[in-house]
Amino acid sequence: MRKALNKVLISFVFVGICGGTFWKHDEVLAQSSNLFRTYKRDVPQKLAKTPESVSEGKKVYEKRCWYCHGIEGKGDGPASVTMFPKPRNFTRNEYKVRSTAFGSLPTDEDLFRIITSGIEGTAMPFWNTISETERWQVLYYVSTFNDQFKYDQPAKVVAVGSVPSTPESIKRGQELFREMKCFECHGEDARGNGPLTVALQTEWDMPYRARDLTKGWSFKGGNTIEDIYRTVSTGFNETPMGSYLEKLSDEDRWHVAHYVKSLAKDMASDVVVKVKLFEGEQLPMEPLDEHWSMATAIEIPLAGQILVSPRLWTPYIDAIMVRALYNNDEIAFLLEWDDSTNRQEEIFRDAVSLQFPNKIPESLKKPYFAMGDSSSSVNLWSWKAHWREGFGAVMEASETDPGVVSELNAKGFKNITVQPPESQNVTGKGIYQNGRWKIVLKRALNTEDVKGDIQFEVGKLIPVAFAIWDGSNNDVGGQKSVSSWYYVSLEKPVPKTVYAYVLVAIIMGASVEMWFIARLRRFPPELEEK
Amino acid sequence: MANRRSTFLLIWVITAVGCLYVFLKYASPKIFQMLMAKDHPMPTPSTLMMWYMIMGVLAGLVYATTSNQKFVDFLSFLLPDRGPVIKSFLRKIIFVGFPALVGWFVYTWAIPGAASPVELRIQHPTLPQDFEKLENPFRQADADVQRRCIEEGKVLFQTYCRPCHGSKADGNGPFANSFRLRPINFQDPGTIATVVDNYLFWRIKDGGPGLPAESTPWDSAMPSWKDDLKDDEIWKIIMGEYDTAGVMPRQREKLE
Repeated sequence: MRKALNKVLISFVFVGICGGTFWKHDEVLAQSSNLFRTYKRDVPQKLAKTPESVSEGKKVYEKRCWYCHGIEGKGDGPASVTMFPKPRNFTRNEYKVRSTAFGSLPTDEDLFRIITSGIEGTAMPFWNTISETERWQVLYYVSTFNDQFKYDQPAKVVAVGSVPSTPESIKRGQELFREMKCFECHGEDARGNGPLTVALQTEWDMPYRARDLTKGWSFKGGNTIEDIYRTVSTGFNETPMGSYLEKLSDEDRWHVAHYVKSLAKDMASDVVVKVKLFEGEQLPMEPLDEHWSMATAIEIPLAGQILVSPRLWTPYIDAIMVRALYNNDEIAFLLEWDDSTNRQEEIFRDAVSLQFPNKIPESLKKPYFAMGDSSSSVNLWSWKAHWREGFGAVMEASETDPGVVSELNAKGFKNITVQPPESQNVTGKGIYQNGRWKIVLKRALNTEDVKGDIQFEVGKLIPVAFAIWDGSNNDVGGQKSVSSWYYVSLEKPVPKTVYAYVLVAIIMGASVEMWFIARLRRFPPELEEK
Repeated sequence: MANRRSTFLLIWVITAVGCLYVFLKYASPKIFQMLMAKDHPMPTPSTLMMWYMIMGVLAGLVYATTSNQKFVDFLSFLLPDRGPVIKSFLRKIIFVGFPALVGWFVYTWAIPGAASPVELRIQHPTLPQDFEKLENPFRQADADVQRRCIEEGKVLFQTYCRPCHGSKADGNGPFANSFRLRPINFQDPGTIATVVDNYLFWRIKDGGPGLPAESTPWDSAMPSWKDDLKDDEIWKIIMGEYDTAGVMPRQREKLE
């Protein structure tokens, strides 16, 4: 009995220690999880709709809203030129986030919610910074742009209950996703890469882009299960996203919602790409190599290049996932991003580039994050999808695309040089599958071109920046998605001596404890009175 | 009752210190999030945490030595007696736990930690001399012209500045997440409200590349607009920007 108790005790403490250590690591990795807004659902007491409130709303509108939505509410304000998605046209019933049936007008509460929270991934900010009264007033004014608000009967609200998720429900949802042909727009892997979306985007040049359902942060109107259920039920007016209110039973819509929710991921953003020492013979060179799962992946949000002309105001690629592994000789990066199509033209090609300073900075000073500057140069590793001569203007890159890899140096946008053939040390390989590019870039840790190439050192923080071009978005040259400086760090393996230290510490701790208790037993504490 | 409780004094002290740790680690970030109305938890800084924990342990010891009776009870817990099973169980936890805790401290101290980036910068470097004497050409204009300038400036602001600085000039534009040096929130009273309007003229004209080294120009995503915008347009943007953010530029001190 006693021995058993002892064993239980010891294992309990051991588990505690291990748990503690892992939990500490988690804490280091999790950073900046609050990049994106949370949609607020509460709506306060409605303000009475009077001619005065409408005219007050006009003032608010003409102070804050018309720059994008236009003075007549047609969604053609002067600032809309630098926007995609375009601002809502209030003269049409193209409201997306509604609690009412497809084709109906939204309720005042729906409009209030959107004004309060805005829409992620668009220019629409959250206006919870203006008073509730002003929000009601401005939405009353906005509804005067469309006469339907005057004549239509108030639409019935689709009730949203709450049904908990189960594995069976998710599985049924997945089947329905196929049966209802959701994949035709959203794609097999739900990356917004279905054939219809691609056709609309490339051949028809229409502004409809099916949502990439793996990017949970980008769901319009929110990514809670209730939000997804509402979107599946009511659809988005004037888009290919229809309503499934009639086509699916209430239960089935919950199944679909649960499935979609299970696909939606948060952005795993971090500042440092932590590179683990790879124990095997050769670093993985194939993008689909299973060893990549050993490496910690981080995701980095990208913006359009807006620093110098020509700028890219409407980037399509908004995030890149990065991971890397190293061994004693080499380092390999796996770069992944979602792209609905690998179609491109001769000059507009899908491409990615890694940027390092020419050498690891010794002080805080780094080269300018956008292609370096005249005083400090950057080293670029570029991968570009292969281009074959053809009759058509638009080509599809092959699924397993070796791509064109090149190493460059830059001292600013206007001063870019390709390294001579003898100093081209980077090798690469790419693959495009189900709406996602996966590119491997590999190079020796150290090269002979000490001046032009970054030399990797274990344990140092090495600045790195990223750029992606989307051929189907007509990205070329300076028109690309970019990031600012992040870091790469080649992790030192945990030396074996650490465990010796720990053992010594435990023995010393135990000895001190035993001495203390022995002393206590010999001279038991007693009250002085005794 | 009082007697029984005091024989477990050591356990109570350890529990109290443990509670303190849990409070600092988990509860306090949530509480400060609520109190300061932030949308993210406010974790306790690690040095502060260490000091609170040291104080907590000391406080426990001080309490245990407030009377001889307490001190005797405090230490006697470690001695074998014919007390209840729970007592010998807890005693075993302490015996195993203490060396384990020491080992854990040493482990966390000895593993090679990833260096975390240090990025110090001065947000408001000194305005260069060339820009000190500049005057907003529309400052003396009549109210109508000024109103028109503000309106034109707001249109330009919404077109060129909005993607990063946001429609509300709150630094929350759709591109804001992508730049680790986040676009400035102009509504914050510590930003454009504390400088004269020439300062903004300098920042817009020369952008990030025009910053001195102590303000880490290499990290700034502020474009230099001197090739794309005319001086008049920049002044209008400044007027529109203050209006959008709802703040006023700092007035120049008059030198006698």
